Amino acid sequence: MEKKIILIIPAFNEESNILHTYQSIEEYNRKHGTNYDVIVINDGSVDKTRKILVRNNIPHISLIRNLGIGGAVQTGYKYALDHKYDIAVQFDGDGQHDISGVQKITAPILSGEADFCIGSRFIQNINDNFRTTASRRMGIRIISSFIRFVTGVKVYDTTSGFRAVNRKVMKEFSCKYPIEYPEPITTTEMLKKGYRVKEVPVLMHERQGGTSSIASWKNIYYMVNVLLTILIMKLRRYEG
Amino acid sequence: MNKLNVALILVALTLIIVVFYAFDKEKMPLKYALVWLFPSVMILFFALIPNSLFKVADLVGFQTVSNLMTGILFVMMFFVCISLTIIVSSQTRKITQLIQEISILKSKINEDYEE
Repeated sequence: MEKKIILIIPAFNEESNILHTYQSIEEYNRKHGTNYDVIVINDGSVDKTRKILVRNNIPHISLIRNLGIGGAVQTGYKYALDHKYDIAVQFDGDGQHDISGVQKITAPILSGEADFCIGSRFIQNINDNFRTTASRRMGIRIISSFIRFVTGVKVYDTTSGFRAVNRKVMKEFSCKYPIEYPEPITTTEMLKKGYRVKEVPVLMHERQGGTSSIASWKNIYYMVNVLLTILIMKLRRYEG
Repeated sequence: MNKLNVALILVALTLIIVVFYAFDKEKMPLKYALVWLFPSVMILFFALIPNSLFKVADLVGFQTVSNLMTGILFVMMFFVCISLTIIVSSQTRKITQLIQEISILKSKINEDYEE
């Protein structure tokens, strides 16, 4: 039986990108005979995002209040779990993620090789044209070394929001998902809980519009938060 | 019994009465009332035993009883603040869940309506 795959697309004020993202997924489905469903989580956008979603008949859930990225993505996992999807893929609505990567990050899960798969910008150098600032790259490296210290596993792209999970992880995420800075924290937690985490190289584009959820002046605060949370997980005991 | 003890007894009693009143009128559930009652009863306890404050101050190494009082109040406020933070955090989690569930339900209803 064919596995049901859904793309969870969190969107906060993405009026300039969301339609294009959705259309590129539809087009990909038509061309490649894939059957990726989509659920856009409109995180209380104050621009025309909601109007665009309704007018174009894009499957979506509009949160009645802004919850932030963590709360929005978790809503998607709840929806995916509820609707019996086998695999849920977190996919950015801003055009950064390339739809062709979905096949790559779902493959290890389809084959039963991994429970949780991260689409990575930093392995095998396939993203020569993806420019990220030196400080951001360094931040990602520092987080990476902390994760290695806590879990013993090297994860390269610690902040990648392009991830695929199976039903077991979907259940975990539906029950518990960090409100802030979810990516590195959930990765560490999954590793600590003994889930099989895999990282595969994917193509990523530069943002096509809108602003990233990680604003530059918040970077230090972000790092302190993430690193402390990861360190605390070193002390915590996990079953399994 | 000196003036300090009397003042403390008055403060503690006022606190206890206010908290009991709020609890009785169902303005405060018991578990939050306890957060306030515990330190209030502590104050009352020390105030009721003459010279106990001086002894404690001497024991812990405070120069004066007023310093001890400041210290105790600081610790008490610390305790109350931490429990408030815990309460707020758990409520945030619950509100998040509510927003998610309501939003999912709402989108379901809209779907049915549009069909």
